[in-house]
Amino acid sequence: MHIPDGFLNNNLAGCFVVGALGMLGYCLSKILKAATIFTGALMGNNGNSNIGSASFGFSDNASKYFQNLAIIAIWVFAFQMFNIPIQSATSAHLIGGVFAAVLAGPLEGFVIMSSVLILQGLFFSDGGILALGANIFNMAFVGSFLSYYIYKTFLNKNHYLAVFAACLFSVLTASLSCLIELSISGTVSFLTAFEDMMNMHLIVALLETGITLVLLKIFKNLTRDTDE
Amino acid sequence: MNKKTFVITIPILVVLLASLFASKRPDTLETIAINYGFKGQAKEISSLFTGYSFPFIHNQFMSSFCAGIMGLFIIYVLYKVVKRFVK
Repeated sequence: MHIPDGFLNNNLAGCFVVGALGMLGYCLSKILKAATIFTGALMGNNGNSNIGSASFGFSDNASKYFQNLAIIAIWVFAFQMFNIPIQSATSAHLIGGVFAAVLAGPLEGFVIMSSVLILQGLFFSDGGILALGANIFNMAFVGSFLSYYIYKTFLNKNHYLAVFAACLFSVLTASLSCLIELSISGTVSFLTAFEDMMNMHLIVALLETGITLVLLKIFKNLTRDTDE
Repeated sequence: MNKKTFVITIPILVVLLASLFASKRPDTLETIAINYGFKGQAKEISSLFTGYSFPFIHNQFMSSFCAGIMGLFIIYVLYKVVKRFVK
């Protein structure tokens, strides 16, 4: 779903870059602030963002916190490389926004996804440079940050249902916003491409749910015992 | 191998498998672009590891694997830098 340069109108792409930079700055400042004042356990976020509930005094937890963010980002990057064939002549890969946000929290999820997208855009030509703002909006803001709140809404009912709802929201809303951006730019007509876009991404959403559930289980299992 | 090692080896293994087996078919947005005739509007920018391939390595698997490992390494360094900045 990485939009390359040339598909979006320059003005629209520019607006998204400004918005993405603003949001990234906000999230980073919150995370850095929380990390520097942390004394309590920070990871293992399961529905509660720990930011704001910390007491003063720098500790080694901050270092462990960044290590965990790095590892989640590394997992997201690696799994995004693995394209799986879906229906005729198309492939799809995990977005990983829900995976990151469930493990680390919404602000952290946004930062993790943005860092992966920036890396892909700058070093791998996966997604354009000017289109980076729109890609961050689609996959980090909608796909991770907003999806976290869908997960949280359904969490008190059932973890599996919450992940399913969040993944469905993440992939379908991200692809919808991608299509809206393309149609505002005059690249493709919204109504013409809507059905194709949604049909295709419904399969991607189901794949995303399955992979996210498995990865969450493996990741939590692997990190539980190392968090001594 | 303890669990902590697995946290690192799993993404490396995934990059290895992706280099071997990842589908070369166009992704969802590319398919839409091809079907609706706007694929030509894409401006290909070239960067260090364009298309997940490592410069100067001509073997497709090794090229893709090395590029992927570099990706993991860059992320690790990026977060290490931010961590140092916090301290």
